[in-house]
Amino acid sequence: MNKDAPALVVEDATAGIGPLTILDGVSLELGSREVVAVLGANGAGKTTLLRTIAGLLPPRRGSIRLFGEPIEGRPAHEITRAGIGHVPSGRELFPRLSVADHLELGGRLSSPARRVELRQRMLEMFPALGQRLGQRAGTLSGGEQQMLAIARALMTDPRVLLLDEPSTGLAPKIVLSVFQTFPLLRKQGVSILLAEQSLTLGLSAADRAYVMDQGRIVLSGNAAALAEDHRVVDTYLGR
Amino acid sequence: MRRRRARRAGTARREGASEVGTLALQLLVNGILLGGLYVLVAQSLNLIFGVMGVVNLAHGSIIALAGLFTYWFSMRTGLSPLLVLPLALAGGAAAGAAGQRLLIEPVMQAGAKAGLLSLIVTFGLSYVLIELALQVFGSDFVSVPYLQSSWKLGALAFGKALVVAGAFAAVMSALLYWWLNRTYSGKALLAASQSPTGALSCGIDVARVRLIAFGIGVGLAAAAGVLVIVIMPVAPQTASDLTLLAFVIIALGGLGDYLGVAAAALLLGIAQSVAGYYLGGNAEYVLPYVLLLVVMLAGPGRFRRLG
Amino acid sequence: MEEATGERRGEPGLTLGREAAAERRGRRRWQAGAALGALAVVAAVPLLSTGYLLQLATDTLTAIILAYGWNLISGFTGYLSFGQVSFYGLGAYSTALLVLHAHLPWYFAVLASGVVGAAAALLLGPFMLRLRGILFALGMLGLARILGVVFNSWGFAGASLGLSLPAELMPVRIYVATCLLALLAFACNAFFVHSGFGLDAVSLNEDEEAAAALGVPATRVKVIAFVLSAILPAMAGGLVAWNRSYMDPSSAFNSSLDLQIVVFVLFGGIGTLWGPFLGTLTLMLAGEQFGVAFPDLQLALYGVVVISTVLAFPGGLVGLANRFGWLMRPIVLAPKTLPAVVPPARPARQGAAPVLEVRDLTVRFGGLTALDGVSLSLRRGEMLGIIGANGAGKTTLFNAITGFVRPTSGEILYFGEPISRVPIFRRAQRGIARSFQIPRLLPSLTVWENVVLASRHGRQSHRAAEHAAWVLQTIGLAPMWRDPASRLTPGYQRQLEFARVLALDPELVLLDEVMAGMTREEQEAVRGVIRCLPEYGVAAVACVEHVIAAVSDLCDRMVVLDFGRKIAEGAPAAVLTDPVVVRAYLGEPL
Repeated sequence: MNKDAPALVVEDATAGIGPLTILDGVSLELGSREVVAVLGANGAGKTTLLRTIAGLLPPRRGSIRLFGEPIEGRPAHEITRAGIGHVPSGRELFPRLSVADHLELGGRLSSPARRVELRQRMLEMFPALGQRLGQRAGTLSGGEQQMLAIARALMTDPRVLLLDEPSTGLAPKIVLSVFQTFPLLRKQGVSILLAEQSLTLGLSAADRAYVMDQGRIVLSGNAAALAEDHRVVDTYLGR
Repeated sequence: MRRRRARRAGTARREGASEVGTLALQLLVNGILLGGLYVLVAQSLNLIFGVMGVVNLAHGSIIALAGLFTYWFSMRTGLSPLLVLPLALAGGAAAGAAGQRLLIEPVMQAGAKAGLLSLIVTFGLSYVLIELALQVFGSDFVSVPYLQSSWKLGALAFGKALVVAGAFAAVMSALLYWWLNRTYSGKALLAASQSPTGALSCGIDVARVRLIAFGIGVGLAAAAGVLVIVIMPVAPQTASDLTLLAFVIIALGGLGDYLGVAAAALLLGIAQSVAGYYLGGNAEYVLPYVLLLVVMLAGPGRFRRLG
Repeated sequence: MEEATGERRGEPGLTLGREAAAERRGRRRWQAGAALGALAVVAAVPLLSTGYLLQLATDTLTAIILAYGWNLISGFTGYLSFGQVSFYGLGAYSTALLVLHAHLPWYFAVLASGVVGAAAALLLGPFMLRLRGILFALGMLGLARILGVVFNSWGFAGASLGLSLPAELMPVRIYVATCLLALLAFACNAFFVHSGFGLDAVSLNEDEEAAAALGVPATRVKVIAFVLSAILPAMAGGLVAWNRSYMDPSSAFNSSLDLQIVVFVLFGGIGTLWGPFLGTLTLMLAGEQFGVAFPDLQLALYGVVVISTVLAFPGGLVGLANRFGWLMRPIVLAPKTLPAVVPPARPARQGAAPVLEVRDLTVRFGGLTALDGVSLSLRRGEMLGIIGANGAGKTTLFNAITGFVRPTSGEILYFGEPISRVPIFRRAQRGIARSFQIPRLLPSLTVWENVVLASRHGRQSHRAAEHAAWVLQTIGLAPMWRDPASRLTPGYQRQLEFARVLALDPELVLLDEVMAGMTREEQEAVRGVIRCLPEYGVAAVACVEHVIAAVSDLCDRMVVLDFGRKIAEGAPAAVLTDPVVVRAYLGEPL
């Protein structure tokens, strides 16, 4: 591991399912302690990009490096162990396991002392979960489920967190409380790659952003600059 | 299978006919003990079905094969059949893990048709095992004569073998339940069955978990076979009845729902014990199949979503 | 199941060249030769022997009948059954009882057994076929067990001892009857391979819901397939009972018989015309030799064969033959060349009712409200765009209109008639066509079959083939009309999805993200077709689209959904600048 290398570098990643190419030569970079948004309409390839990085879909071509260390083609559970936390789309919780079980399963990779520390931190970050430790995940509200999915990923003590549309189906207030954890995470040394359909949300939460369309990156730059760039809205609304 | 029904029902008839209340209680106790054994028979399949989505149609043949081996062992050595338990657990687990790697895993790569293909593969495997058993052990119904007396408690009589087998099976099922819900590796297994993607994102090696689940499932099935042979006559032909029995219980109790399956197993044990006494061996034998059809066709939606 | 993929290649290209025609003549000659040869073998058997050989031939033909029967429901239609032996046993007992008690001649009794099998399947089918996958397979197995116990304890049928019949003195007569029944079994399978009905059955195997959306009456088709697949074993059972002059419960309802049949068909090639025949013939003769050498290991051998077939060559013998271009399945209802384009003539529908009217529609899944009191209407000649963020309820709206989802409350009117209780396939037949967000093609079928399946059930069903040809040429899929759908590039797959919509000759078209994942050129082609829809007789179009640019200029009106509610409606330009919409669509600012 190279401390000076960017947290995550994706170069020319191409992936797909069967004959379908969904990700077409995507390159991006995520600096250490940076929050970067990947924006785009439904079907643009955001989820596939994150799944490819997380190892759930092996890339056909291209390289993915975590702090300089190549991780492409490794099995997904090893990539998690290497330090990539993934909050998948659809959350993928274990509906019949309790909140505490989720934290335990996520925290298994760390030492017992670190586990206790992480768990304490999660309960501070998401106090709502602390009140529902014994409750089954399937019975939580949408917002609580999203928090649990994030908490579970953070329990793996990741250096890079992949967040797949955490705002989906959530009321704006809850989304806000999720996004408010970013500065804290950043302070703890976590870099965040955020896939987001909502343009304003994504741009307001990130330092930089990439805009995807049909499996490629079409625009990229500073979040503030992109917010002013009419081309971004045009890609979305087709005006 | 039919033959042993007559035996057990006869016991109940002789010893409990003095009073209606005693009779009912006796039938209930017999049913619960039988149900305790059914829990293990069903739970081992539930584990494999729940985690892998594979209906292991060779389940019953594993039970029958282990039972017949136990018979051979205790006839040969004169030792207690329960000594075979650890051997059955270990041997079953090893065979199960090997079978998963060689037969199931390649088929699971087939995408949408994987479920159907694995069904066909285990269907074929069941016949290989049954034939093997027929070759080695012959086609006669056999049972290990073990603890043939009864414990008396007032007017009630508990067949010792039934008590011991039911208790062992219940303890093993409880251990399984404890392992699944109280240990990390058990929870990892539940997690992998409820969301493979979520499990991978926790760093759980899902492929390895599947191997373990299959191993444990087959090991427990073999252990169930050791206990079955102690209380009822088994022949290689019994295999498919046992598979269906386990499947009926899972359909009744809910896939992946370990408490529900335990309750269903006990209920079926009691229902069979009652039906066997009042309606005879044939009724007892077809009861699971009738229940299966009734539940699948008329039961609440969740029973119909298994496929 | 799997095999069909490689099998429906057919000849590439639009027309058949001289070589292809010669090849076809050659194949016909080969087939005629094979048929003559088979006939000669069949006829030679009784001349050569009346003992062992005749019995072996009769047994083999019986197994072929059972294999063909099983192939209808489990191979073509895709409902794997482990209990077809139920019908075999019922037929055997029907014949035995009719001969003993009604004193019918055996051939009448066997025919009557077929009727009994049909009646039983007709009664059971509508219930049993609601089960799918493993549940159906095990449900049928359970049924066989129950019947076994019933006959085991039914005194009139001889209980566990069974029934004895007078001996047949001329086994040749049974042999001839078995031959005839085998021919019938083959003809049934040939009918499935060549007819539109067979295409319906195969479409259920591939994707039952998508088939229903194309107008296939799923329940009727699978019950008919089930009845046919019951008649054959029932009559075969009758013949066997008479042949053996004896029948008891353990041989009548013996589930290892089903195992053998499953193995035979899988080995030969499931869901194919020649698979059951080749598999049964090979394994029966090999099994006979093996059985002489190792009399007790026959079932184990079958177990090994089925496992290795699934693992090594899932397509069976026919799948292997396909690799060399042999035994290819013909393309159903395919003309030699696509006929010239004849645009369909359509009578205009009278009346003033709007094409579609949705009133106060609410759909709840458990605690989740996917649609919350949505009302909208579509007038004739209108195109409506429906937009909204992920999870806004757009696809649920389409699902409710097409019948995939039952509304919790509210009304849906189609040309003024309430349709909330009309089944999916009937809505499709009446002219409501939809595309799926992710194309749900029938992958092992050809482009042609995907389209003709729909046109057979749409409003142009009387001229299905011409209409299908018209659609393919209009959409631009004519050059690859004989290719399997699974081999198309994603763009063409989406076009095929769209072609199937047109093939129904619909009046109301619902397009669910047809343009997602298309290149600009492909989008332009689809936009061209959408513009022409009114000319093709489509009264109204509604489309859900994320690529808003691709539809905003086509739409007359737009509706915006957000969290299951309609938050805006109006002309595209006005809607897209509405601050409420911009906020809902682009997201709340922090």
